[in-house]
Amino acid sequence: MNPLRRFVRPLRSLFGKNKLEQDMAEEMRFHLEQRAADRQADGLSPEEARYAAERKFGNVASIQEQAREGRGWRWLEHLLLDLRLGVRSLAKSPGFTVVAVLTLGLGIGANTSMFSVLNGILLKPLPYAELDRLERIYRATAQNPEGNLSAADFLALCKAQADYGTVFAFLPASASLSEPQQPAEMAYTARATADLLSGLGVTPQLGRDFLPGEDQPGRDRVVILSQRTWRNRYGSRPDIIGRSIRVDGEPHEVIGVLPESFNDWRYLGVFDFFRPLAFTPEQAADRQAANLRVLGRRAAGLTPAESAGFIAGLGARLAREFPEANAGSTWRTVDLQRDAAGSSGLIVLPMLLGLSGAVMLIACSNLANLLLARTMARAREFAVRAALGASRLQLLRPLLAEALLLSLTGGVVALLVAGWFRDWAAVRSTGDNGEQVVFTLDWNVLGWALAAALVTAAVFSVAPALFALRLDLNETLKSGGRGSAGGRGQQRFRQLLIIGQFALAMILLSGAALFVQGLAEAQNRRGGWESRQVATGTVLLPAGKYAGDESQTAFHRRVLERLGALPGVEAVSLSAATPFFDWSDVRKLVVEGQPPAVPGQEPAAMFNAVSPGYFTTFGTRLVAGRAFNERDDAGAPRVYLLSQTAARTLFGDRDPVGRRLAVVGPGLPAWGEVIGVVSDIQSADPEPSGVTLRIYQALAQEPAREVAIAVRAAGVAPSALVETIRATMAELDDDLPIRRLTTADASIARTFYQLRFLRDMLTAFGVLGLALATLGIYGVVARTMAQRTGEFAIRIALGASARQITALVLGTGIRQALIGSVLGLLGAFAVTAAIASAFRGIHANSPLILAGTTLLLVTVALVACWLPAHRAGRLDAMKTLRAD
Amino acid sequence: MAKKEDLLQGTLDMLVLRVLSRGELHGWGITLKLEQLSKSALQVDEGSLYPALYRMEEKGWIEAEWRMTENNRRAKYYSLTRAGRKQLEAATESWDRMSAIIALVMNSA
Repeated sequence: MNPLRRFVRPLRSLFGKNKLEQDMAEEMRFHLEQRAADRQADGLSPEEARYAAERKFGNVASIQEQAREGRGWRWLEHLLLDLRLGVRSLAKSPGFTVVAVLTLGLGIGANTSMFSVLNGILLKPLPYAELDRLERIYRATAQNPEGNLSAADFLALCKAQADYGTVFAFLPASASLSEPQQPAEMAYTARATADLLSGLGVTPQLGRDFLPGEDQPGRDRVVILSQRTWRNRYGSRPDIIGRSIRVDGEPHEVIGVLPESFNDWRYLGVFDFFRPLAFTPEQAADRQAANLRVLGRRAAGLTPAESAGFIAGLGARLAREFPEANAGSTWRTVDLQRDAAGSSGLIVLPMLLGLSGAVMLIACSNLANLLLARTMARAREFAVRAALGASRLQLLRPLLAEALLLSLTGGVVALLVAGWFRDWAAVRSTGDNGEQVVFTLDWNVLGWALAAALVTAAVFSVAPALFALRLDLNETLKSGGRGSAGGRGQQRFRQLLIIGQFALAMILLSGAALFVQGLAEAQNRRGGWESRQVATGTVLLPAGKYAGDESQTAFHRRVLERLGALPGVEAVSLSAATPFFDWSDVRKLVVEGQPPAVPGQEPAAMFNAVSPGYFTTFGTRLVAGRAFNERDDAGAPRVYLLSQTAARTLFGDRDPVGRRLAVVGPGLPAWGEVIGVVSDIQSADPEPSGVTLRIYQALAQEPAREVAIAVRAAGVAPSALVETIRATMAELDDDLPIRRLTTADASIARTFYQLRFLRDMLTAFGVLGLALATLGIYGVVARTMAQRTGEFAIRIALGASARQITALVLGTGIRQALIGSVLGLLGAFAVTAAIASAFRGIHANSPLILAGTTLLLVTVALVACWLPAHRAGRLDAMKTLRAD
Repeated sequence: MAKKEDLLQGTLDMLVLRVLSRGELHGWGITLKLEQLSKSALQVDEGSLYPALYRMEEKGWIEAEWRMTENNRRAKYYSLTRAGRKQLEAATESWDRMSAIIALVMNSA
């Protein structure tokens, strides 16, 4: 039979049931009549013949029943019937149904939302062709396992790539974007090798890709826009191709627009546009500035292990050939999809999914308890049906149907919750350039929600089902349907539920509390610097207009003069970096008069170039010597300031002032004199760098195009200065984009948005878990109390005091809550250890918080138990006993 | 009347398929044919026949069609499908093998 008919026939038997029944009856009637006619021919009277035929045939109804069972999809008919009955029975108790669906909806919803995050980050493939062959290539050092490559490294890799596949690179850099009649904008851009897009397998939606020769100096004034920039800044004009736009003050030709799918926030899609990466001969020879992000596409025949081996081998060769730059580094490859998730993502995402699973479990156990109560209230009905010979399956079917209905409706509510979460996450994550983190609800997520709903249904319906099957028929029927204490098994089951719920709630709450505290601590960490009175912003001098060091320094000087003269400004500074976060510019140091260190183990320090007012502006103390001043300019001898730790590490107890050292940056080692020591600082970085030394240089001696402006306010709030600063900067050059001009505190808080996002989710889980567990313990105690009313009445009649009864009821809940909380503490340690390993800057470990959480849980348990306990104590014994 | 034999477990399907392989028949016709072919040695129990027919229709071995009999009565005629023919071949083969084995054991023991 062809497959379609195979499928249609059972369906017809399901929906064309009446027709089939008629057919069956007619067919059998025909048979009976024929047999009767046959017998009549043998000489029987018509009536005798009919009887004989019927006798021979047997019980028509029973045969029809057998035939029906033999028909396909009979189970589906049963299921539909059970579901219909289930709907009716649930509709009869709307209170229970609403509570159950909401509980499940929140539980599954939390879990589905977290899965959508994990799906969006880990599972959803990046929008590049043949993704499984794409790799990120790192040069790992002791300080930085995810170090980048220098230009010379990359070019060496390019030369050897034939044995690997193809390699391509990009270099993120800010750029200003300006046209007449449009405000200048500071864009997130990257310079890319000409084969980056083709290497990823991405073709522009409009226009063309970079041409092979366009990554040469002088031919590189072409840009490929992202879909988002094209839409937001250029209104999706189709004639954009071939138009000239001003990037860093220079005209560039737009040659292409990337497809929408490329704007994937997880990897390269965050960039507003791409320019070709062109190396000047000096840049191409540079081994020190390791800032190229390198990707590779493995040749089709290579396994990941083989390509990793090849890359590691090349790294080792370069480390031998160029020890002064590469010693101590190892090269490694990471699958690109994994790389996009980040190392902390791989820890945090499964953890979040697990925690949301805990919320779901608490919801499940509440429902198990509610459903058990519901089942036991119908114990008599079950007993009667069992006594009449209903099979186990027949007994359980209505229970399972109800559970299925509840969980599927809960699943629908869960999808609403997940949809709401997606919108919330998108709003919370909107970046400066309109970039949003969107966790789409795709089939993966829908499937997960369905699976979660089915799993919960299975989990919370198993216990009531088991108890229903173990009913003692005689006892139940004899007891006349009065609620009994429900047997030891049920008691123990309920106690286990409370213990489990409180253990999970403890994990959720303490995990959340520790993270909240750790994050607040990290966000407010200001070691050796201040931020309260400071406003900051980042300004980028267009390369075209400010090409040379002199023009940059001259502009810097004008900015400092003008801003410093504003009323309410106490100090002003420009610097390559702020103390808010650890500086990414780490340079090796060579001390004069000391034997050269083993290659690869040279002392290294985080490097910052600052204007003279920097230390006053941020309130960092000068410990010895002098700070920079106006005379430390390009023409003066090079000078350095050291942090206390750097001074101690490099010079021990000897006075560092007046000694000479060299900083190995881009180009030749720069020798200079140490003129002073400033106090150590500790940044608010959630992922602190492993480097602890810091070294400062005068900005005028190594000017930068991109600098942070910092203004310290006196007498006014720093926020009041923001608009004056913007106006003053526009007067100096109205073609100058400023990014994130706001108070220092706001700007620090903003960079913590991902972590705050995490904090809010953990808090939501904790609160949800606590609320559900409270509901759970209240439900269990109230039920126990209701079932033991008779017993309490007798106790009171025999002379027990109200206080004793209250204590008895209280005791049933509190002990389990305590046991659960203590067990939960163990889980809490595991969660905090995971958080601490994902975010080294967050110290999530505080005995005080753990003690507080335990106290909170026990208090909540007390309050939840108190109500039913109090009611039990005030029982009217006579009334209760008479009513029985 | 000769002594009636009970059908061996599981052989009814095979017999019905065999009967239908000669041409389509209604349920009553199948009963008659079986009795006639076995020289009335087999009594087909209607209580087994109809569930077996529905089951085999479900499995796709036979298909049914309502048509008029020679006496102008409406009756449900069953006929073999391709799958049914294959099933019959398989069943016949295994039956032959089985009966040969049984005969061998019975005769030589």
